[in-house]
Amino acid sequence: MATRDDVIESFGHVSRTTGTVFRYLLLAATLFGIVALTVLLIYVANDAIRPLTADPGWHLAFFLTLVLPTLAVSGYLFRTDPASFRFGAGVVGALAVSTMFAGGAAMIFVDIVSPVVWFGYVIALCLALAGVVVIERFDRQLPFLARFVGAGAVIVGSVLVVPGLIQSLPVYPTDGIMLTLSLGAPVAVVVGRYAAADAGRRGQALAVLAGVAGVGAGGVLGPLLAIGAVPATVLLAVAVVPTAGFAVGTVRRTPARRTGLLLTAVVLGGTLVGAAAVDALGFAGPQSWVDWQFLTSAHSGNAVDAGLYPAIGGSILLMVTVAALSFPLGVGAAVYLEEYAPDNRFTRFIDVNISNLAGVPSVVYGLLGLGVFVTYLGQPTGTVLIGGATLALLILPIVIISAREALRSVPDSMREASYGMGATRWQTIKNVVLPRAFPGILTGTILALGRAIGETAPLIMIGAPNVLFSLPTALSSKVSAMPLQVYAWASLFASEPFYQAAVPAGVVVLLIVLLSMNSVAIVLRNKYQSDSK
Amino acid sequence: MSTDDIQRDLTRRTENSPQELLTRSFFFLCAVLSIVTTVSIILMLTTEAAKFFTVTAPLMGVDGPTASVVDFLTGTEWVINNEQFGVLPLVSATLAITVGSAVVALPLGVATAIYLSEYASQRAQRVLKPALEVLAGVPTVVYGFFAVVYITPALRTIIPGLGTFNMLSASIVVGIMIIPMVASISEDAMSAVPDSLRQAGYGMGATKFDVSVGIVVPASLSGIFSSFILALSRAIGETMAVTVAAGTQANLINPLNPASYLEGALPMTAAMVTLLTGDVTGGGIAYRSLFAIGLTLFVITLVMNVISDVVAQRYREEY
Repeated sequence: MATRDDVIESFGHVSRTTGTVFRYLLLAATLFGIVALTVLLIYVANDAIRPLTADPGWHLAFFLTLVLPTLAVSGYLFRTDPASFRFGAGVVGALAVSTMFAGGAAMIFVDIVSPVVWFGYVIALCLALAGVVVIERFDRQLPFLARFVGAGAVIVGSVLVVPGLIQSLPVYPTDGIMLTLSLGAPVAVVVGRYAAADAGRRGQALAVLAGVAGVGAGGVLGPLLAIGAVPATVLLAVAVVPTAGFAVGTVRRTPARRTGLLLTAVVLGGTLVGAAAVDALGFAGPQSWVDWQFLTSAHSGNAVDAGLYPAIGGSILLMVTVAALSFPLGVGAAVYLEEYAPDNRFTRFIDVNISNLAGVPSVVYGLLGLGVFVTYLGQPTGTVLIGGATLALLILPIVIISAREALRSVPDSMREASYGMGATRWQTIKNVVLPRAFPGILTGTILALGRAIGETAPLIMIGAPNVLFSLPTALSSKVSAMPLQVYAWASLFASEPFYQAAVPAGVVVLLIVLLSMNSVAIVLRNKYQSDSK
Repeated sequence: MSTDDIQRDLTRRTENSPQELLTRSFFFLCAVLSIVTTVSIILMLTTEAAKFFTVTAPLMGVDGPTASVVDFLTGTEWVINNEQFGVLPLVSATLAITVGSAVVALPLGVATAIYLSEYASQRAQRVLKPALEVLAGVPTVVYGFFAVVYITPALRTIIPGLGTFNMLSASIVVGIMIIPMVASISEDAMSAVPDSLRQAGYGMGATKFDVSVGIVVPASLSGIFSSFILALSRAIGETMAVTVAAGTQANLINPLNPASYLEGALPMTAAMVTLLTGDVTGGGIAYRSLFAIGLTLFVITLVMNVISDVVAQRYREEY
């Protein structure tokens, strides 16, 4: 056999330096975008919050009461018991994020939907559900269509009649009591059952009662603390009670983690003590542009007085509309494609079509909204409804794609077990597939909603007003949104004062909302992934 | 329950019971909605654009000012008030943004993908991937603001002649925005390269550098290219960042000449937004020009998405 003399040159030279240089180049490239964004975020946060305008004493006071103890406790916990550390940090994070959402919810109840109307609809839905249960219990032999139509009639009838009846009552309970019953009670039931899952029926009932009482305290405490009964009740129902329930439930299940609550206590206590100390010593805080005035007032030609309130409300309403439209439609399409669709040309066409729709620029969706809803259907421009519908169409492909992934991750063996028990396809989907895929679907939907919240172009296209002075109160009223307001300030009112005050503040608020939504989604996904392994 | 009832329950065919039919048709309608959306986008854009052009306007029963197709496609002036609708300046600006953001995003994105798939530990991946997702999650209007307020002044210390609104900083932010897209799709393609190929490389005495550059990248080339095309189509459709940062003056610029990035221009998407911010009367020629640009944009992005699909499918190395 002839020996081969030729040498492959390309692998001939082995150098450690090349490898090392390459590796660090790659790392630098990976970090480039992240570092660039971080620097930009620091700049914008500095411009918006202006920490350097505070007294040095203010910084010192908070450093001593909040930062130092938090760092010490975190360091200690992280070294001794990382699980407790994560739990403690999780409670703090949950409290912060839920407080923010509580702020949004309080805004809804103060300015958009009065507690009476909300209470009326909740009662109507409860009655309707009770009616449906009675119909279902009454006779299993009733034909499905009769049951379906009956249930539909009960729901529609109840929703149409009951709220009006309740609003026409001569006397109704105070706002605090109505919100406690209609918002606090359902929250308390969920939270109480979670917190006392191992305590039997009696313990759970007690936990639920404690939750309701906790929420109800808002109606009493709110006026005393001068924040009003409605915001206080909502804050307790959306933020405090769920976080407390989460903490109690986790500690009951894994008592070893209770040291983590030390971190929570240090952060909360440090904040309070720091605030008290600063107040007593008379140190001035930073002259932040993101302040109460900015969050609660409307646009103004003067950059310093301009606020984001109508835009925040508009974003919340848009988010609710988009979620209500895109979630059922997106999940429905995903269920069809994953569970029903035969493998034929039509299905593949839908498939390709959805991935192409995901790549269509958002301005084109705006044109679609403008053309279809405004020009052809004759809707007024810039309303909550068509804004929400346009954004829902925009994120629909993303919702479908992520929901399909979640459905695909449900093992086939579970479906087969369900069929083996004699379940029909719909029963299998309803009882087995959807519950199992729900966290994944939820994660994808939250991420997609985050995308919708940040979109500006479609709203401009459908003629949403650049400047709005009051909150939208109905689906048919004009809507503004946070990114739209930021755009208006950055382009129509482009001037140094706006660039230095209103725009950075708006950007910071928008980013805080978006990042907390994203972090909720990522935490959900991580939890879901580690649970399913 | 009598035995008859039980027997009927057990032997009933449930496949086409009303409940099953109802749910199945609901899900089917949801899926069909996506096709309805596409069809209405196409119909909407073509009918409104048809009313814009002189050739097709009579067919649509429109009388009033129109623009000729040739003028639209070859005109070099975009002045709405003069009714000069030449799309070339807009296309040139869009191309410039695309080229500029490609220069930023493609090398960085591929390098990120190689790092994540070949070098990064599990732990580093857990931190880096969500951080990269955040890059894509920041609203584009915020990027536009960053470009005007922070990046342009910073660049001005190096390039003194830079205008307030310029293509350079707009391209940079669009580039940063699409890095995650290049990175995640390329990384998926690289992770799909079977380990046996890598191990064969190591077995031959190759270093990690050789394996990454000589084996993994060539094997995932189709995925990398498809990520390029998708990301560029995203850059073309990018709206708010360029509207805020690139200016409002329509100039015909040469995308391959670095000097043209120092001034502002008006990309297609920005032109659409500026048209609507300036109170367009519904039904006028300016309103229809919106749909003509929209159609151009839609066709370009659609073709790019389809090409990306074809590249990923056709040239995929099967193992």
